[in-house]
Amino acid sequence: MRSIKLAVLLLIAAGLTTRAQTPAASPPALPAGYVGSETCKICHEDIYNGFGKSPHQAIETNAKRGWMGRGCESCHGAAQKHTETASAAEIRNPAKLVAAAADKICLTCHLNQPTHVGRLESSHAKDQVSCTSCHKVHANGPNGLVNRKPVAINEQCASCHTNIWAQFQKPNHHKLPEGAMSCVDCHNPHGSIRKAMAQSFAANEPGCLNCHGDKRGPFTFEHGPVRFEGCASCHEPHGSANPRMLVRQEVRIVCLECHANLPRVNTTGTIGVVPPSFHDLRSPRYQNCTVCHQKIHGSYVDRNLLR
Amino acid sequence: MRRLITVALIVVPVFAQEAPAPPQAAETPSPVPSGESWLTGSIDVGYRWRTDVGGSFDTYRSIVNLGSGPKMLGADFTLADPKHRAFDQIRVRANGWGDDPYQTVHLDAKKSKLYDFSADYRDIAYFNFLPSYADPLLGRGIVLNEQSFDTRRHLGSFRLDLFPGNWFIPYLAYDRDSGSGTGATTFVTDGNEFPVPNTLRDQTNLYRGGVRFELRRFHATLEQGGTTFKDDQSVFQNPGSLNFGNVATPVFGQRTDLTSLLATYGVRGSSIYSKGLFTAEATPWLDVYGQFLYSQPDSNVHYQQAATGNLFLQSQALFYTSQQYLVSAAAKLPHTSGSLGAEIRPLRRVRIVQSWLTDRLHNAGSAASTQTFAGSGASQQIAALLASSLVTNYNQEEIDIFYDATSKLTLRGGYRYVWGEANDAVLPPAGLMSSDQAKLRRNVGIGGVTYRPFQKLTIRTDAEAASSGGSYFRTSLYDYQKVHAQARYQALTSLNFTADFTLLDNHNPVPGVNYDYRSQQESLSLFWSPSGGKIFDFQGSYTRSTLHSNIGYLIPQTLTAQTSLYRDNAHTATALFNVKLPAVQGIAPKLSAGGSFFISSGNRATSYYQPLATLWLPVNKKMSVFADWRYYGYGEAFYLYEGFRTNLVTAGLRFTR
Repeated sequence: MRSIKLAVLLLIAAGLTTRAQTPAASPPALPAGYVGSETCKICHEDIYNGFGKSPHQAIETNAKRGWMGRGCESCHGAAQKHTETASAAEIRNPAKLVAAAADKICLTCHLNQPTHVGRLESSHAKDQVSCTSCHKVHANGPNGLVNRKPVAINEQCASCHTNIWAQFQKPNHHKLPEGAMSCVDCHNPHGSIRKAMAQSFAANEPGCLNCHGDKRGPFTFEHGPVRFEGCASCHEPHGSANPRMLVRQEVRIVCLECHANLPRVNTTGTIGVVPPSFHDLRSPRYQNCTVCHQKIHGSYVDRNLLR
Repeated sequence: MRRLITVALIVVPVFAQEAPAPPQAAETPSPVPSGESWLTGSIDVGYRWRTDVGGSFDTYRSIVNLGSGPKMLGADFTLADPKHRAFDQIRVRANGWGDDPYQTVHLDAKKSKLYDFSADYRDIAYFNFLPSYADPLLGRGIVLNEQSFDTRRHLGSFRLDLFPGNWFIPYLAYDRDSGSGTGATTFVTDGNEFPVPNTLRDQTNLYRGGVRFELRRFHATLEQGGTTFKDDQSVFQNPGSLNFGNVATPVFGQRTDLTSLLATYGVRGSSIYSKGLFTAEATPWLDVYGQFLYSQPDSNVHYQQAATGNLFLQSQALFYTSQQYLVSAAAKLPHTSGSLGAEIRPLRRVRIVQSWLTDRLHNAGSAASTQTFAGSGASQQIAALLASSLVTNYNQEEIDIFYDATSKLTLRGGYRYVWGEANDAVLPPAGLMSSDQAKLRRNVGIGGVTYRPFQKLTIRTDAEAASSGGSYFRTSLYDYQKVHAQARYQALTSLNFTADFTLLDNHNPVPGVNYDYRSQQESLSLFWSPSGGKIFDFQGSYTRSTLHSNIGYLIPQTLTAQTSLYRDNAHTATALFNVKLPAVQGIAPKLSAGGSFFISSGNRATSYYQPLATLWLPVNKKMSVFADWRYYGYGEAFYLYEGFRTNLVTAGLRFTR
């Protein structure tokens, strides 16, 4: 009886030893229709070598991802027909697919990541701008799959958003042309809970507060527009000919367009129109409201934002 | 014996098995040539000369602010450890060091399956002194911006992601934002404002940590964070000086003045927040996502102010010579936000995206103040207790349907409903801030087309048309149409064109508002790089933009109707031409020339020119010499004294490894 037990134990040990000695990640046999990346390399050597240096190389080499030895075909699909005919029509080319179909290939692996929480709300997704518009899947540079240097990021964004880049050529602007900032400092290209794909900071606060922390508050006496409609109520964030990137040429005009001294007549209400002020705007003393109402973003101590 | 046979029967086959191949690594080596250098990159160093600034130096500093001196203009290095000990790769890039206004450095370090670390530091000079902005004394020949500052902001951001497994990723992050410097502001009293110097010093620390669970069909991120904040700005005027303020007119025959001032803000704030995010591929035809956040920032303030001079208190018709003002205040701002969404794919060509979003802020503040006035032989004290509240609840619901009509044409249609309410109150009511409330109700129709008739041409258009039943402000979006159209055409392998058009037409016909706003931009850009840019390449863009805005208001002093007309018509162009010049004695120089201009007419007619040229002389594979020239020319039609012009010349070396 003891010998049987011993035999069973040895059998288990032998089995385990054998299992441990089996090559951990030998390329599995190719499924039907697949040819393996080495075959792709014969014609597409440059792309193959570049891919070998890119972060996507993990698909090719990591058995857990299920595409070991078939990295190319993980996106391009089974390539046997293509290798037999050398016809471009016989291989899936994501660049020729509609954006949603191309994205679907990327999202096979990347859907369940925090960057994609706001993806469907982004104007990029809605306007059929695919992942590969910004990410180079075969890239082999030190930057990986996407530009990381501010100057390169800005150039890439500006190649589509030409009119926005033009606004940065105005004299008062955030310092993007100087390379001190990039578009993604303020915008999340994958989408955001905020409008215009604006970055949110920490507790979903506007991304502006990441650098302008002194405007965060909470203030004892808030200025409504800052909280209700954000910094863009009064500022042109990309650039302006007006000082401090204001939306109007002089401060008093910015203020008067809301604080119009007109009685409220609509039933739903409009904030900030009353009560009237009687300052004589002809006097230079009153031509910039923030000379007195200096805590215009909110005051810790004064209800009239004077200090 | 039988036992021995039994053992032998089992053991011998085990050891008799073919000797196993050496265990393969889970990941085969990357095909990176092993001979590559462990350190690669480049660094640009040089010296910049700035010619005298013609015109307003203060405006130059407010807009450009580049100076002379030795500079480390840029660096970009990659350090790779071929043995992958502490790291696989470290990347460092830096920009603008040497007392430039925007000094940045960024570091990324990573080790596969162990960690990702990033650090970012920015030292930003923030200077603003534009006399046209706030100079009530200009009429008296005094050039002073009473709302100016000369500060630096220091921004640090550090993040560490750990990879103990493939699906469980804990992370820690720390951000620090601090600012310090000096400026000018005003000390406001009844009947006069006194321009005084101030010091600015604030600091925010953000600590956060969390875990990401990234599974094949599901992801969740849980994050906990907190901030600390302090603001120790102060306003002062040293004793012994006499400040007559902005008002020269006597009050009841007396001229007011300020002889000393010290006001300090002791602001301390903190916040704790909790955040959760998730995405899931619930079924092959359904993806869902969402997030939730709750935070409760608060602030506590101890403000102290002491002033002397001949000052006037309008409400009591009282002249006084010294004043002490103490305020203790606090505010709490609970903030809840959440979103949910789903993409449903009922048919192969149809996708439905439904989303919902809410964002709720409820601020409650209180302030207790005591003012003590002392005059000739008498003193008076005024105490006040104020409560404030600001509430905004914003909600949005949207549905979009996408239809891939063909492989070249995708159509989109949708509907968005936005609703919310806001109110803002200070009790007891008085002055500018009393009590206000408004509702937001907006229906938006959405449409879009993406058309790619052939691979080299893509046309995208999207449009929104909205009708509102209420908005928060007179200048808010109300009944609007928004259009964006873009065409990208690759005429040749080396030649690309992009045309872009945007329009926003907003009207608020509510009596008492009558707001008309229209902005429009048209852009055209091209990139031409024949032979892959081996000889030359060119990129350029031109944008024409117009903005018209009309809204009525009552002139405060007369309460007569007036219309605020804002016009801005601008032309903007950018260009950059790179050419490789013929080699001379084995050196092939490269010349880059271009720049940008902006010319506008309208309410702030401005011109701003920034031409540049750079000459590169590669000395050998590891070193290049460069010379760079830039010109900055700025002018305003209505504020001639704010124009400036200057030349910057930089000569330097690029070392490459």
